[in-house]
Amino acid sequence: MADGQRLKGITIIKPIIYGNIARYFGKKREEDGHTHQWTVYLKPYRNEDMSAYVKKVHFKLHDSYPNPNRVVVKPPYEVTETGWGEFEIIIKIYFNDPNERPVTIYHLLKLFQSETDIMLGKKSLVAEFYDELVFQDPTSMLQQMLSNVRPICVGTYRHETDFDEKRERTLNNIMSAKNKIRYEISELNDRLKQSKESIAKLKMEIAKMEEDDRIDTDVVT
Amino acid sequence: MTSSDVRDILELDSGTTHEFVTKESLMNDGKKKKVKKPEHVTFKRPEGMHRELWGLLWTDNKYIFIDPPPIFPSDSNQGYKQMKAKIGSSRVRPWKWMPFTNPARKDGAVFYHWRKVADEGKDYPFARFNKVVDIPAYSDLEYQQHLHDEGWTRQETDHLFDLCKRFDVRFIVVHDRWDRQRFRQRSVEDLKERYYNVCNTLTKVRAPQGTEPKIKAFDAEHERRRKTQLTKLFERTQEQVCEEEDYLIGELKKIELRKKEREKKTQDLQKLITAADSNMDPRKPERKATKKKFPPQMKFRDGGATPEPGGIKFPDFKQSGVSLRSQRMKLPASIGQKKMKAIEQVLEELGIEFNPMPTEEMVQHFNELRQDIVLLYELKLALASCEYELQMLRLRYDTLNPAKSSSTAASTPLLTPTTEQVGLGSISTPQVPSLTLSLSTPATPAFDDESLLSAPDSPGIIPNLGTIGDEIIEDSSLSGRRRNSDIDVVGTPQRKRKGNMEQMNLIKKMKQQK
Repeated sequence: MADGQRLKGITIIKPIIYGNIARYFGKKREEDGHTHQWTVYLKPYRNEDMSAYVKKVHFKLHDSYPNPNRVVVKPPYEVTETGWGEFEIIIKIYFNDPNERPVTIYHLLKLFQSETDIMLGKKSLVAEFYDELVFQDPTSMLQQMLSNVRPICVGTYRHETDFDEKRERTLNNIMSAKNKIRYEISELNDRLKQSKESIAKLKMEIAKMEEDDRIDTDVVT
Repeated sequence: MTSSDVRDILELDSGTTHEFVTKESLMNDGKKKKVKKPEHVTFKRPEGMHRELWGLLWTDNKYIFIDPPPIFPSDSNQGYKQMKAKIGSSRVRPWKWMPFTNPARKDGAVFYHWRKVADEGKDYPFARFNKVVDIPAYSDLEYQQHLHDEGWTRQETDHLFDLCKRFDVRFIVVHDRWDRQRFRQRSVEDLKERYYNVCNTLTKVRAPQGTEPKIKAFDAEHERRRKTQLTKLFERTQEQVCEEEDYLIGELKKIELRKKEREKKTQDLQKLITAADSNMDPRKPERKATKKKFPPQMKFRDGGATPEPGGIKFPDFKQSGVSLRSQRMKLPASIGQKKMKAIEQVLEELGIEFNPMPTEEMVQHFNELRQDIVLLYELKLALASCEYELQMLRLRYDTLNPAKSSSTAASTPLLTPTTEQVGLGSISTPQVPSLTLSLSTPATPAFDDESLLSAPDSPGIIPNLGTIGDEIIEDSSLSGRRRNSDIDVVGTPQRKRKGNMEQMNLIKKMKQQK
């Protein structure tokens, strides 16, 4: 089938955001001891409808939850629950193209933070991350799906976190760190060379002295 | 070739005409006696000896005086093939069968032997070998006053001295002849101890006022211990001997292994330097025009993970299909705990999160950064081991030539740790003093020249690096100057030092067992 043919050399990137928000009740709930309500989600970074290429999203919760395997087949891909503890949620993204294997993301559900406002439950806690789905050599079918996406909502599409600013900042950090490290490498390299030289020199001198010693003793005997 | 060789070849024997043994020559009747000139320093080839053989032994070159032949002809005139019996030139001295007495014998027994007539009436020549050991004697009074000992009775002491006199203080014989019926069993050391104690006491007592008597030194305890040890050594079973041998061989192997390891490290060092050199080159254009340069670099990276020598090899994502970008900045498991930790610590210090936003650009630079960090880490390690080697060499140098040590140290400034400080605070080794990277913390150098020179362990000479390293560790743990972010480079030289100690101990042990 022509649809199943992979298009070599084509790479399509779909940035995504995943994570959770959480809000403290303000107290421990009597009946089950739960303290937080949280929502774990997966959403596109850009304003587009992921359901064009995503078949379903699997959220695997902690085993202590009733039916911990939650399947979401259409946006928004999210699960809202209450609980009292943090745990790792496994998010599995299945694609409409049967040729693509699902992609797995591990997210540690975050409930607690030291910021007082969040602690008091006035503000919700956001723990979300940026990642990119990299479609290497997609099939023509998938390529079709990937390129024909509609916006998911009208108006400006925004995230809790300013990822653009964050990216800019991190990148600058990394670049300056890189320069710093490289500078140190060159310094260290010079020192290493120097010390290597002096080792060689010392070795030679020692060899010479040992030779002298030998001759000395020879003469004595 | 010597001139004599030439003569020999040409058969121009100008020397003595050779004769066969005749009765006349044997009896030395003097008629044919030749007046010989004194021999030169050189020796003539013995008659009949082959020229080639003589050439091997004796050549006329200049080394003659320095290096004489291993075998000297005892009489170069003597024939090599025909022995000439030449007996003394003077008249034969007459001998006579005569009686003699040996003064060593008290019974005055008379024996007969052959002796030169000239020596008649002289003392028996071997009498002088009859040495009598001077055994001190003590009076009753002396014994009561000075020689009393709880462990010894008078009779026993008398018996000991009697035996000593009879057997010339041969303690082994004395011990053997000890009267075990009358006295209790005594060890050789016991006997010696008593004997020497008595002797020493007597010498002291009898010494005239003001003079220092000569005391015989005998440490009985030491002797006993020595013998016990020897006995133990002797009584080892075959298995024990084998076991020890195996152990020693094992240790030897370990030592050799360590040596090999160090050699390998120096080889790696060269690689590392090359890596660092190649790393340096691309950085200059990158510094300013980082952003614009991305596209070609990205291609380079995507085109296949280039194996960075000494760095990290990130997995290559070429496979078709979907994947997460963040997977590409995962450190390969092969990197090892230590390096992983090193990276984390440096990143923390640099204020960079462990999982930055995985955009393509970010992943590339983040990976490169971490590769550089690993390279830096390895360089530090290498430098540490270099410094260690330097230190060992210097010690060796000092032992070879203690007098010169100070001057050499001055001529090779690298031997002392320099105070110019590079390096992240985190990957600091004791030998590599480093500034803390973060500018907010006051730049307190780990140590300075003064503290170096005042290192208490090394008076006079330049403090050796090892002690400094130790001191710093101690010092920093006290002052908290170093943060917990020290990478475990510190352990390496110490471990080596430990290895060295082991080596020393082993040698000591071996010596003891000898």
